[in-house]
Amino acid sequence: MQAVDSRPVQAPAPLKTADRSGARRKRDTRTAWLLSLPTLIILIGMLGYPLYRMIVLSFQNMRLRELFSGATPPWAGVDQYAKALTDDVFWGIVARTAAFTVVSVTLSVTAGLGIALLMRRVHAKVRIFMMVAMMFVWALPQLVAAQAFRWLTDSDFGVLNYLFSKVFGDEWLNHSWFVNPWEGWAVITTLVVWAGIPFLAISLSAGLTQVPKELVEAATVDGASSWQTLRNITLPILKPLLTIVTTLSVIWNFGLFTQNWALRDSHPEPVYQTLATYSYTQAFGRSLYSYGSAISVITVLLMLGVMVFYIRQMFKIGEVD
Amino acid sequence: MARHDDGVVTVGRSRIGTVFANTGGILFGLVMIFPVYWVLNTAFKPDAEVRSFTPTFWPENPTLDNFRSALGEQHFLPSMVNGLVITAMAVAAALVVGFLAALAIARFAFYGRKAIILVVLAVQLVPFLALLIPLFLMLQGVNLTNTLVGVALVYLVLLLPYTVWTLRGFISGIPRELDEAAMIDGCTRAQVFWRIILPLTGPGLVATSVYGFIQAWNEFIIINTLNDPNHQNLMAWLLYNQTERGTAWGPLMAGAIITSIPVVVFFLIIQRNIATGLTAGAVKG
Repeated sequence: MQAVDSRPVQAPAPLKTADRSGARRKRDTRTAWLLSLPTLIILIGMLGYPLYRMIVLSFQNMRLRELFSGATPPWAGVDQYAKALTDDVFWGIVARTAAFTVVSVTLSVTAGLGIALLMRRVHAKVRIFMMVAMMFVWALPQLVAAQAFRWLTDSDFGVLNYLFSKVFGDEWLNHSWFVNPWEGWAVITTLVVWAGIPFLAISLSAGLTQVPKELVEAATVDGASSWQTLRNITLPILKPLLTIVTTLSVIWNFGLFTQNWALRDSHPEPVYQTLATYSYTQAFGRSLYSYGSAISVITVLLMLGVMVFYIRQMFKIGEVD
Repeated sequence: MARHDDGVVTVGRSRIGTVFANTGGILFGLVMIFPVYWVLNTAFKPDAEVRSFTPTFWPENPTLDNFRSALGEQHFLPSMVNGLVITAMAVAAALVVGFLAALAIARFAFYGRKAIILVVLAVQLVPFLALLIPLFLMLQGVNLTNTLVGVALVYLVLLLPYTVWTLRGFISGIPRELDEAAMIDGCTRAQVFWRIILPLTGPGLVATSVYGFIQAWNEFIIINTLNDPNHQNLMAWLLYNQTERGTAWGPLMAGAIITSIPVVVFFLIIQRNIATGLTAGAVKG
């Protein structure tokens, strides 16, 4: 390596390592910013500005009238937030979204880890079969996957009811899976976990190949049980990756929209609403644009902690150099 | 304590454990693939077999009627063309714009670099649907609702952070020594870009654009909100079909297959890159 670098950002060395004059560095900075400019303009214009508009909107009262006339919506202060925060329906949706996230992430990460571990034990051909099956599931568009589950659980001709009636008796014929919200949510959770397993299992199985064999063998020689080896060697090494995929799953599942939306035919009943669908329904279904915005702002705030954690984790593991 | 569920391959495993593991693996694969199989199975069945209380596990009288019905639906073809146009615009724009930023982050040391990385990482996590309300109002303000360009613009923002991030990885992967050698031989920075970085990033550009294609092709909520039925893509068409012909399962499943084919094919080609793109840093090697 070259001599000690005193620049504040310690990052890729400039192209010509021999020439590190101040002028050169200045020119580099200018070129780099010029190259980044289009991206920054687009992000500011189409992401930063909407974010700002959304926050402003949440303090106003925008209805259909203002949408058509183009008039500035009247100021509403914190009314929208007060309305949401004093509404039991809203709190119910927050609790439901959070509960769904916890359950679905726990299930899918556990299953993903289990499958990843299983893949190390099976015959090579079985492993390929598992990979192929998971690849197809992963490749499937979310909406198509939801359609598939909608058809599987159809009350009249769905194959699930057919199989259940064979195993558990005829009362399962014509069973409606979405009458009882617990059953309905079980279907939605199964769909989300099923669709989420491939990403988790395949990433974690890639991570497992990084566990040094010597360590495991040494532990076995020293008399560690399989469980002890897993707990004390495999999992600690896997932890950074496990943290990343869990965080991503939390972010994705907390924003659940497609699955409950499609399974409930674009009109989820109150009990099938999540924060994302609720905000959407308030804004575009009932033309309560400001109320929808306030709910979105609250949603983003609730997510903020997880997002900060994810970014810090990315920096910590050195992905961001 | 189950011996067959730990993660490590060592010598001297019990044979029973291996049999258990293999059986479990096969069962898992079958359960995973079953819904996919069932979509295919249904799509090739005539209506009488679809609406049967004792479903058969393969089509006894295979037919293509469902596909004909889906393809013949009046909005199918326009939606497909719209989807392709929007996707092409968004992916092309994201690639050009994103490549420049990726180049800056990967190859330049400059003041503000960390800040740009932070922004790119952070915006990937913003729940995009939350921004749909202001985006809708903005686009309506400039008369871009019910246009393909408006949706393409939104998709561009959707794809851009990932594009920058992934291309950055590909560019960083090119040994810096190559650049340096070329510059010592008298290449300018522009020449280094055209003759070394661009050609060597080729596979990365392909992978990134294919991933972008998948993202844009699969999106239906934004386009469904911004545009009228004449300016939808295929995925939105599928949802619309679901509400319109809720119980015509055969044609619905056929439509789902047609809509999925490009995505599934592309996905299987580049799957390696997707997995590593999302978690690259955590898995070394």
